[in-house]
Amino acid sequence: MYGWIWRHLPGNAWVRALISLVLVVAVVYALFQYVFPWAEPLLPFNDVTVDNQ
Amino acid sequence: MARTADGTGEQARQDGGATGGPPAPVRRGPGPVALAVSLFGELLITAGVLLGLFVVYSLWWTNVVADREAGRQADKVREQWNHDGTAGPGALDTKGGIGFLHVPALGNGEVLVEKGTSTSVLDNGVAGYYTDPAKAVLPTSGKKGNFTLAAHRDGHGAKFHNIDKLRKGDPVVFETRDDWYVYKVYAILPETSKFNVNVLSQIPRESGRTRAGHYITLTTCTPVYTSRYRYVVWGELDRVQKVDARRTPPKELR
Repeated sequence: MYGWIWRHLPGNAWVRALISLVLVVAVVYALFQYVFPWAEPLLPFNDVTVDNQ
Repeated sequence: MARTADGTGEQARQDGGATGGPPAPVRRGPGPVALAVSLFGELLITAGVLLGLFVVYSLWWTNVVADREAGRQADKVREQWNHDGTAGPGALDTKGGIGFLHVPALGNGEVLVEKGTSTSVLDNGVAGYYTDPAKAVLPTSGKKGNFTLAAHRDGHGAKFHNIDKLRKGDPVVFETRDDWYVYKVYAILPETSKFNVNVLSQIPRESGRTRAGHYITLTTCTPVYTSRYRYVVWGELDRVQKVDARRTPPKELR
């Protein structure tokens, strides 16, 4: 999977490394900004109130 | 991340090439089994990294975001108080936040208190007073009742993280524009069901009190990093102190 991505990136090793880094940062950003905030309420870690539900 | 995973894939491919099938004269791709194994391995690594990132997000990043937001809202409240200073005691503004909670034992300075205990409120790094299932009685109303609050134990500001450090007799001070309400902790319930709404009663019988009074109740989840149970701390109003011109904190906070 990652090998496949690596082979399909353009440029020499340095350029590929740089693009990889940018991709990683983009993925982490997407996770922190959209995916985790969406997933968090679905997980039972952060309910602090007492209620009837 | 990509490079590590790539290295692993490379190795798996070489292993597959060395052991699988008759020797081939030319360099060839990995066999289907080796490919599948390498893909599976990469997926496992990815899952591990994802979970690790989620922990970082939950325990660190949400705090960063929440503290920033809470600070901004707190500044707004303070500014508003300063502006209304000349008008004298006016109507209570519940929109931006009604005051600040100071609990020395929590060791985190002041906590803004806002209306409601929904995640959209609490995730801003503030404490919320209950409107459901039982309505909190605000100390500013002067009526007898229970001032019930909730805040996060971990992440999103983790304002009640150190709730287990509170002992009987510790002060819990609520600051409004005009008054300091000094409460003293008198009962602690280290573990209760999340369905136990009785802890929010106007007269919290579980704390041992049977008569109406001015109570404060702090709730959060326990044990840390989970929300299987609820941790409850009760306090009773000790005295009310007028805010002076220099906003000198009561002696409990000095």
